[in-house]
Amino acid sequence: MAISEARDAAALPQSARPRAAVSKLFWLAAGWIALVFLATSLANVLPLPDPTRMELLDKRRPPNATHWLGTDGLGRDMLSRLIHGARISLTVGILAPLIGLIIGGALGMSAGYFRRSAETVITGAVDVLLAFPPLVLALAVTAYLGQTVANLTWVIGVLSIPAFTRVARAATLSLAEREFILAARAAGASELRILVRELLPNVILPLLAFFLLAVAVTIVVEGALSFLGLGVPPPAPSWGSMIGEGRESLEVAPRIAFLPAMAMFLTVLAFNIVGDTLRAITDPRQTAL
Amino acid sequence: MLGLAARRAVYLVPVLLAVTLLTFLVASLLPGDLAYAILGDQATPETVAALRHDMGLDQPALWRYLRWLGGVLQGDLGRSYRTGESVLGAILGRLPVSLQLMVAAEIAAFVVAIPIAIQCAARAGTGFDRLATGIAFAKLSIPSFMVAILLIYLFAVQLRLFPATGYVPFGEDPLGNLRSLVLPALTLAIGEWPVLMRVLRSDMIATLQEDFIALAKAKGLRPRRILLVHALKPSSLTLVTVAGINIGRLIGGTVIVESIFALPGIGRLLIGAIYTRDFMILQGVVLFVATGFVMVNFLVDTLYALLDPRIRHGH
Amino acid sequence: MVAGIAPIDAYPIVGPPIDPRASRKGTRGEDTAMDAALRLTCLARIIALTVVAFLPVGQAAAQKQGGSITVGLELDIAGFDPLKVGVFDTSGTMAASLIFDTLTYLDENGEAQPKLAQSWTHSEDYKTWTFRLRPDVKFHDGTPFNAQAVKFNIDRQKDPKNKCRCAFYIANIKEVEASDDLTAVFHLTDPAVTLPKLMTIPSSNFVMQSPTAMLAKGDDYNRNPVGTGPFVIKSWTAGDRLVLERNAGYWDRTRPYLDRVVMRPLPDSQARFASLEAGESDLIWDDEYDSDNILKAKNDRALKVHEYVGSGATVYAFNTKLEPFDDVRVRQALVMAIDRKKMSQALTNGLSRPATNPYGEGSWVKCTDDGALPHDLGKAQALLKEYGKPVKFKMLVTATPRGRASGQVLQQFWKDAGAEMEIEQVDQTAIVTRAFARKFDLTPWRIIDLADPDPQMYANFHTGSPSALANFSNPDLDRLLEHARATADPLKRTEDYCAISRLLNKEAIWFWTFQNTYYAIAKAKLKGLPKLYSGVIDVSPTWLE
Repeated sequence: MAISEARDAAALPQSARPRAAVSKLFWLAAGWIALVFLATSLANVLPLPDPTRMELLDKRRPPNATHWLGTDGLGRDMLSRLIHGARISLTVGILAPLIGLIIGGALGMSAGYFRRSAETVITGAVDVLLAFPPLVLALAVTAYLGQTVANLTWVIGVLSIPAFTRVARAATLSLAEREFILAARAAGASELRILVRELLPNVILPLLAFFLLAVAVTIVVEGALSFLGLGVPPPAPSWGSMIGEGRESLEVAPRIAFLPAMAMFLTVLAFNIVGDTLRAITDPRQTAL
Repeated sequence: MLGLAARRAVYLVPVLLAVTLLTFLVASLLPGDLAYAILGDQATPETVAALRHDMGLDQPALWRYLRWLGGVLQGDLGRSYRTGESVLGAILGRLPVSLQLMVAAEIAAFVVAIPIAIQCAARAGTGFDRLATGIAFAKLSIPSFMVAILLIYLFAVQLRLFPATGYVPFGEDPLGNLRSLVLPALTLAIGEWPVLMRVLRSDMIATLQEDFIALAKAKGLRPRRILLVHALKPSSLTLVTVAGINIGRLIGGTVIVESIFALPGIGRLLIGAIYTRDFMILQGVVLFVATGFVMVNFLVDTLYALLDPRIRHGH
Repeated sequence: MVAGIAPIDAYPIVGPPIDPRASRKGTRGEDTAMDAALRLTCLARIIALTVVAFLPVGQAAAQKQGGSITVGLELDIAGFDPLKVGVFDTSGTMAASLIFDTLTYLDENGEAQPKLAQSWTHSEDYKTWTFRLRPDVKFHDGTPFNAQAVKFNIDRQKDPKNKCRCAFYIANIKEVEASDDLTAVFHLTDPAVTLPKLMTIPSSNFVMQSPTAMLAKGDDYNRNPVGTGPFVIKSWTAGDRLVLERNAGYWDRTRPYLDRVVMRPLPDSQARFASLEAGESDLIWDDEYDSDNILKAKNDRALKVHEYVGSGATVYAFNTKLEPFDDVRVRQALVMAIDRKKMSQALTNGLSRPATNPYGEGSWVKCTDDGALPHDLGKAQALLKEYGKPVKFKMLVTATPRGRASGQVLQQFWKDAGAEMEIEQVDQTAIVTRAFARKFDLTPWRIIDLADPDPQMYANFHTGSPSALANFSNPDLDRLLEHARATADPLKRTEDYCAISRLLNKEAIWFWTFQNTYYAIAKAKLKGLPKLYSGVIDVSPTWLE
């Protein structure tokens, strides 16, 4: 961080200090993430039933010996679908916001830093993308380029660029006039250097927090898109589409919708706990009043 | 101020042109010709060609766009191909519903998100923070279509407190209007507040680490004052940004909630237009939504300067 | 998608209105100062009442006047002008049955009964039908309903300048002649033995709309229609509700019973059912894919599930011009790989009724041998092996949960047989387009419930028809279709249609999965709902207990 550490000396006696930053919770979260990644990478090797295999007369069965988490509305094994679904959900869920983060972040920082015409053009372009009906784009891509995970990732990614751009721009605006930037400029640093060495570390924090949220939102959005027929092509499973399919059986077998929701909840929460802890470690100044 | 407004107006025009042109071109690419949809079983190559000629669909897309634009400049947004109703009438008829829903949802989301975020930031890392975070992510993991159905079953079917579906105009019955908005607004708010809460919390944690907060503490100000008066405003940038984007999206994008609660809003109008390839309605809605976005973002930009005095609208 | 017609419009058998006063007994225990004449009158009344009570008057004594109901539809109504909307969809026909009348309606036994037409005769060759119209009927705008109005309605649809999609369905009506104010003569191109039955549907073709209003309102007529029906439009908010009020000047003085009907589009099926449970709706449209709720409603005393097995079925068409569907072995194999019972269990908890021919249990066409291919996975695998080449193709499905579910089940059946099917999700509009442009390998379609199989069978299978999706031409098939159309004798026609079914099943150019079962779920206190002919829910003769 550019702000000098001198103020630590002037800090008041610490009142409520956060507990040891690396707590039990962190390890639990990290453990869960590791488990999820392990399971998804080994999905094809593990002795799981085919996630698309339907036992048509065995639909909505509660957990039993053959199906540890039961079957869904068409008789497919839930555990297998959860694990295979994780692959697609996490792939789309992480890569799509990443596209937004990288492209949107860069655009937003440029807009917030360079102002003038660059800002007008960038915010204009971003407003256009924002106002463009997302469904039309999704439909057109599906129709012409096919319904694949890759296309889906790109569509969601591109549609998330405006949000990242605006967040990055907002953060940049508040930092661009600060003393440390002026100081760096006075010291003769090039614009690029300022952007990367001074601004980026500060802007990345709100962006990353937003990114982790975007992961959660994207996984759910993929489910909504699947509902409209624009998500992952059936019969491939994804957490989002499983939640959508489970909706019809809410009264009879709520487990079908809640298991993928639970998986998603735990995974996304774990990401954020890890993110929070890492931030607390790298920046141990207390925030409590 | 006037200069700013004039600049905004100048900015608005190219954005509207770009959005409507892009929408038109991309939508024209969509398979599924309007002529086929109208003719249905009677669609032979000859009848399709004849109808397309009649509707002007065999002209190049750009030319058709210009014709539409010409109409718009004269204040005529045209008529729906499918139902014959005036596009402007259709949109204005549904706009109040969407706006009311959007306002109610945002207020509900803010009312919950802001206090919790402040407390979380003040007590970052404590049990309260963890719990609130957990609940927020739990909410995010439940998509809006699930939340909606759960709310309906609880409040409408079991408790009979609120209507399961439907919209009552304010003019007709103010109380009924509010009642009919509660569940849909709640559904939307539940989807929004986790994000709003988390971004505010995040920004606030960063702000609380700043010098001027330490200074305030040193001056002996009470924590509550520090939080609300000094820390909240500069931390609100991301919050306001995200809220701005959401508000814009809510106008055209609440299809799921509108479908489930059977609200006659813009979202359903838009989706219906896309699926029936009713370009006149599609273009009209996009025009409105784009204008809405630009206005909201303008407001947001203005708020930046108010919230954080370090931001100057320098040019 | 296909012709969204086939309405049902059945009033209880026309009989004398039950006089409420007649239910009071005329005799008392003790002798009152009634003179003989009065006693005789009372006796006469009792006798009359007893006789009437035993007449098959369908829903008897307790029709209550008054009340208002809310009906939950699936889709919003686009409008009522045939030139604009072409054909009414399910929601459209539901509303049309209230706002308009047709010339005839179908009673409980499926026979045509008088409505706007009082009687009819036909020529020897069934090519000319003469309808005597009911006198003193007025449209809601006060203009008279007469033969000229009938002629105007049909002419307007058929006028090539208007390019109405609806014209296709009345292509067999050459012209309508108004020989006098109350006589409308239909001149047909081909014999139509059951014309009065086909006209019972409140479709865009057959509802009678006011010529004056259509001419005066132009583009605005679509959302401001004028008919002769038992209800008039009071207000209409698009996407929200259509409010209909009792037509005080209705030509049948005793009808309707209800004062008001509110129709609301509730697109989400679970929310729609919830609105019924919450008491907000009195009747909802539903379909078998909502089987959980239907079964739940069947066990609920406060609700009644109305069910009607119609003719027709959910069908699929192979494009026989493309590989691998140019080979009959592949087509037969795929059909034989389908286990309809399992599919029904999986998709609709067993509510779907397997279909083996295009007619179904609801049709008057009953075949002892329809040539249906059996479910035989072994044979299917063998046929595909015999074919030799790998079988890979795409199937169109609608981008809806039910489309996806059906597609995935079929996908699995065919995988077991050795074929690889890829699901291609498209929205409804795109399916229609691609079907007519023949840009598909395999597409879903529908044969809806009509009183007669001719219109759809001819359209779907005769060489040269735009709806002959399979690109398949067979002179025997054409001959049978033409013969069935022109013959009057139902037995001979049944023979023809069964022969057609055998041919179609053997060639397997289309296949049928499930028959059309139509549902409506209503509160138990809503009485008098007629049969859901062609899936149309006609609430005009209903009352609330």
